[in-house]
Amino acid sequence: MLEFLQNSIDTFNNSHPIIQSCIYWTLILIVSIITLIFYLKNLRYKLRIKGRIEATYQKKYESDLIEYLYAGDDININEQQKQIIKYLKKCAENGLKRKIIINTFLRLKDDISGETADAIQNLYYQTGLLDSATTRLKSKKWNTVARAIRELTQFEIKEAHDDIIQLINHPKKEVRNEIQKYLVKLFRFDGLEFLDVLESELSEWDQIQLLEILNKFNNLHIPDIGNWLRSTNQSVVSFALKLAKIYKQFDAKDDIITLFNHPNTEIRVEAINLVTQLGIFEAVEILKKDLFDRNLDEQIAFFKMMEEMSMPDDLAFIEEHVQHENFYIRISVMKIMNLITVDSNNTFTINNADQNYIIDKNLTIAS
Amino acid sequence: MISNFPQLLIDIFDFIFFGFAIAAISSYIILAIISAFETVNYMKKNSFVNYTEILSSSISPSISIIAPAYNESLNIVENVRSLLSNHYVNYDVIIINDGSKDDSLEKLIAAYDLVKVDYLINNQIATKPLRKGVFKSTNPAFEKLIVVDKENGGKADALNFGLNISSNKYVACIDVDCLLLEDALQKMIKPFLESTNEKVIAAGGVIRIANSCKIKDGKLLDINFPKNRILRGQILEYLRAFLLGRMAWSKLNGLLVISGAFGLFDKKIALEVGGYDTKTVGEDMEIIVRMRRYMEEQKVKYRVAYIPDPLCWTEAPDSYKIFISQRNRWTRGTIETLKKHRKIGFNPKYNSLGILSYPYWFFFERLAPIMEIMGLAYFALLIVTNNVIWSYALFFLIIAYLFTVLFSIITIIAEELTYHQYTKKGMGLQLIKTAFTEPILNHPFILYAALKGNFDYYFNKSIKWGEMTRKGMSNN
Repeated sequence: MLEFLQNSIDTFNNSHPIIQSCIYWTLILIVSIITLIFYLKNLRYKLRIKGRIEATYQKKYESDLIEYLYAGDDININEQQKQIIKYLKKCAENGLKRKIIINTFLRLKDDISGETADAIQNLYYQTGLLDSATTRLKSKKWNTVARAIRELTQFEIKEAHDDIIQLINHPKKEVRNEIQKYLVKLFRFDGLEFLDVLESELSEWDQIQLLEILNKFNNLHIPDIGNWLRSTNQSVVSFALKLAKIYKQFDAKDDIITLFNHPNTEIRVEAINLVTQLGIFEAVEILKKDLFDRNLDEQIAFFKMMEEMSMPDDLAFIEEHVQHENFYIRISVMKIMNLITVDSNNTFTINNADQNYIIDKNLTIAS
Repeated sequence: MISNFPQLLIDIFDFIFFGFAIAAISSYIILAIISAFETVNYMKKNSFVNYTEILSSSISPSISIIAPAYNESLNIVENVRSLLSNHYVNYDVIIINDGSKDDSLEKLIAAYDLVKVDYLINNQIATKPLRKGVFKSTNPAFEKLIVVDKENGGKADALNFGLNISSNKYVACIDVDCLLLEDALQKMIKPFLESTNEKVIAAGGVIRIANSCKIKDGKLLDINFPKNRILRGQILEYLRAFLLGRMAWSKLNGLLVISGAFGLFDKKIALEVGGYDTKTVGEDMEIIVRMRRYMEEQKVKYRVAYIPDPLCWTEAPDSYKIFISQRNRWTRGTIETLKKHRKIGFNPKYNSLGILSYPYWFFFERLAPIMEIMGLAYFALLIVTNNVIWSYALFFLIIAYLFTVLFSIITIIAEELTYHQYTKKGMGLQLIKTAFTEPILNHPFILYAALKGNFDYYFNKSIKWGEMTRKGMSNN
C-alpha cells in the first residue's frame, strides 16, 4: 500500500505541470462535490425539523401566554406572572425565538379583544420587545429596520411615530413602504402627512396598498388634498387624484382642471378620467379647445368622458369623429350617438341601423 | 514551415475549443454568483410584501389571461376551471380555440353554458378570421370567461387574436394546459406596479415540471419526483436555467426570453411592436427581443422582469421522441430570432441587449451545440491520426463532467435554500443521482436535438411546430 502511494506520488511529481494541475482540479472538484452533498443532506434535515422546532416553541409560548393571562388579577402582577415575563424576556434575546413569541402574541391579540388584548399589549412592553424594536430602528441593516417598523405597526405603537417619520426618505423602498403603512394604519388620513415631505416616488403598488388600508376605515375626515394635487412629486399628484376619485373630492375641481396641462401625460389622462366622476362640466369646453393638440391617450380619455358628459349641443362635434381612425374613439362616438350599446362585458348591440353609418365596417362583429 | 503546419492547426483548434470551454464555464460561474446574490436579495425583499391588499383592490390593474388551445379536448374543461380559480380580482380569461379539429369547443359550451355574442374586437394585428365566433357564459359564475373560436393559424396567431380582443392593460400569455398557481397573477403584476423609474414591458416566471405531481380540480396537491429519467433530467435542467441563469439575466436587465408557458406583457407595447411573429417557431423569444429592441430604439428606460417564485407548473415531454422534437423547435426558434435581429448583435447602440445578451445567446446558446459537435469530431480526428495525449483528454473529460455535477448540486442547494419544493424524504438523494446521470443520459439527446434543429432550419424548412402529445396533468 505504502509502495503504491509512494509510486503514485513519484508519478505525480514526474508528470507534466498541466497534468499536475488537472489532478489538483479533479481533486478539488471531487472534494467540493462530496462536501456539498453532505451539506445538502444536513440542510434538508434541518429544513425538515425546522417546522417541528418552531411548532414546539410556538406551543410552549402559547401556553405561557395563556398561563400569564389567567394567572393574575387585572391590577397587579403576581410572582408567577413575573417568572413568565422573565422567561419570555430571556427567550426574546434569540432572533428566531423572538419571532415566534411575536407571532404568538399577534395571533392571540387578533383573536381576542378588550382587557385580555390590552394584557398582551402590556406583555409586549414588559418583555422588552418594544425596546428591542425601537433599538432595531437604528440598525444599519435595512431589513432589520423594516421588520422593526412592521412589528411596531402590528402592535400599534403610536409612540414610535417621531422615530419612524425621520426615516421617511430612507434609501430602501421596502423601509419607506413599511413606514407609509405604519403611518396610515395607525394615524389614518393624518398619516398621509408623509406626502408633504416624500422625496422619492410612490409606486402604483404602494398607492394601492395605502388606499386599501384607508378603505378599511369608515367615516374618516378627509383632509384637503389641494397641496398634494399641486405637489412637484408626480406620484403624489397621481395618488391625490386617486383619493379625489375614491372620496369624491368635488372641492378639488380647480386643481384638477389645472392638471389638464400637467407636464406628465399620465397625470393629464388621470385628470380627464376624473372629470366624469366629479361631474366637472366646465372641463368639457376647456378640453374641446385644444383637444387635437393633445396626444391620443388624452383624446381617447376625452371621448370616454363624453360618453357620460355630452349634451345635445355636443353632438355635431362628436359626429365629426364617427370615422375616427382610432378604435376606442370610434366606439365612444357611436355610444354617444346611441348607434350601439356596449355592456360591461364588451358585448355590443346595434341600436339603429342608420344608413349614414356603416357600423360593421367600423367594428368587428363576432357573430 | 510546411512540416509544422499540421501542428499549427492542432494548436489553433486546441486554443479555440479550450478557450470556448473556459469562456462557457466562466460565464456559468459568473451568472450563478449574480443569481445567488439576486435571489437572496429577492427573498429578503419579498418577505415584506403583502399580496392580499392587491387582491381585493378595485383599482388593481386589469389582466387578460390569453390561452390558445388546439385539440385540447382531453383536459380543456379542467384547464379552464384552473385558470378561472385565480385569486386576483381584476382579470378575465380568453380561450382561443385555434381551429381545433376535436370537440374542444362543444365541451366548453356545455361545461360553461356558453352562448355566441357580438363582441368588440380591435383588429390591430392581422390574424386568421373567426370560425364560429365569440362566446360568453350565461352563468354569472363564469363571467370572466371569453371563448373565441377561430380558423387555425398557429399559437402566435391565436395569441395575436387574444391581444386584439383583450380590453385590459396587461395580458398574461400562457399555455392552456399550464397549471397556474392561485397567487400567480398578483406576483407577476408586482414588478409592473412597483417600478417608478423604468417601464416594465414584460415579466416571466419560473416554470416547474408537473409530471408525477398530484393535481385535482386544477390545484396542485402534492409534489412528487418522477421516475422517468428524461423528466428527472428536465427538472434539474429547469432548476439550473431558472435559479442560476435567468435571475442573473434579470439583474443585468438582459433577459431575452420569457417562457411561452407563462408570461405577462404590457399590452400597449406588445401591440405597438406588432404582436407575435407568426412566421417563427420561437415566438416567445422573438417578441421579447422585438419589444426590447423597440424600447431601445425609442430610447425609453425599460426592464424585462423575472419572478423566481414557482408560479406555473407544466407537463414536460416524457419520451425521447417528443423531447427531441421540442428541443429541435427551441433551437430553430433561437436561430430565427437571432438571425432576424442580427442588427442588435454586438451593437453598442442597443446597450446591454447588444453587447451582453445577444453575444451570450449567440455564443453559448446558438453556437454551443455546434462547437460541441465540432469538438467531438476534432477529437475523433485526433484519435484517428494518433494525435491524442490520452492523459490530457481523460482529465479534460473528467473535469468537464465533475464541473457539470458540481453545478447541478449547487442548483439543488439553491432550490433547497429558496423554495424547497421537493420536500419528501428520499427526493434529495434522487436529485443528487440525477445530477450524476443527467450529463450522460439527457445531454446527448439535447445535443442531437440541437443539431437536428440546425439541420432542419437550413435544409428542411417545411417543419414547423412538431408534435406534443398531452397526457393531461390531472391524470397523474
